[in-house]
Amino acid sequence: MSTTHSHAPLKESPLTEFEVLELAVRELAIEKGLFSADDHRRFAEWAESRTYTVGSRMVARSWLDPAFKERLLRDGTETSKEVGVDWLQPTGQGTPSDYTYFYVLENTPKLHNVIVCTLCSCYPRPVLGMSPDWYRTPNYRRRMVRWPRQVLAEFGLHLPPDVEVRVHDSNQKSRFMVMPMRPEGTEGWSEDQLAAIVTRDCLIGVALPRADVTASQVPKQPKGRNGGNKR
Amino acid sequence: MTTTPTPRFQVGDQVTVRDATTMFHTRTQGYVRGHTGTVTEHRPAWIVPEDEAFGIIENGRYTPFYVVRFKQTDLWPDYTGFEVDTLETECSELWLEPAGKEKK
Repeated sequence: MSTTHSHAPLKESPLTEFEVLELAVRELAIEKGLFSADDHRRFAEWAESRTYTVGSRMVARSWLDPAFKERLLRDGTETSKEVGVDWLQPTGQGTPSDYTYFYVLENTPKLHNVIVCTLCSCYPRPVLGMSPDWYRTPNYRRRMVRWPRQVLAEFGLHLPPDVEVRVHDSNQKSRFMVMPMRPEGTEGWSEDQLAAIVTRDCLIGVALPRADVTASQVPKQPKGRNGGNKR
Repeated sequence: MTTTPTPRFQVGDQVTVRDATTMFHTRTQGYVRGHTGTVTEHRPAWIVPEDEAFGIIENGRYTPFYVVRFKQTDLWPDYTGFEVDTLETECSELWLEPAGKEKK
């Protein structure tokens, strides 16, 4: 039992069935020469470096440029190319599994859109990057379709009764992104300024953009907790 | 999969999702089966997931796809939100019947 240091023993959680499957298929593919381990690593690195800032950019540009907005709403897949995203060939390899359609869902004063995938965790990764952990949980997936207003309230979003909450369950080839309304207090802003307030959660539909909130600013300590937390 | 099939349903049509069982892969969620909604958009035709999942591409069933909008109060009898709330999802033609044809 004696050890030279006091760290807890390193415990690995057991692999899931799908992790085993992925490992096996990947190793076979590498052995067969379909791709190399380095190809795989580079793809993973590339995929994980995509971020929602592409989506933010699209929304900010739509707020400023009605013609871009019209194109984006009409043909999201094609218009994504204008911001450097090719849905049909995101890797430049054009594998069939990359084949998807991209649709942008516009919020209005009477309509609020929110996305979920009850079957797995489909997410518009080329424009939003990797999904947040909670988006992939069975809890979010089963409850968003069933109790959307309660789930939105848990995110701090309360919508009035006359606003239609429309849940989009992306169960097939389509991927969705929400286009929120431009908030007040942003008059005269540049595209960069606007893009900074269109955070990931606004693009999923569990939050609304605010003129005083960007994703990079550290949230203020809530006043009611820790007595103001003077340090 | 060379010819694009003519869609059986038009935007605005009331459709009922078949209350069928599935033995293998499908993308038709259990919670919409047997429920009636409205076609709001056409989607490009492609191979139904029931075939695609098994690599049956050449001879797979290539059908129109639809966006179907349901009223939440129709999906969930004890829905706790508001009457205006809706849910949209996509269905292959394989799973849709004209509203009223399907016995729940």
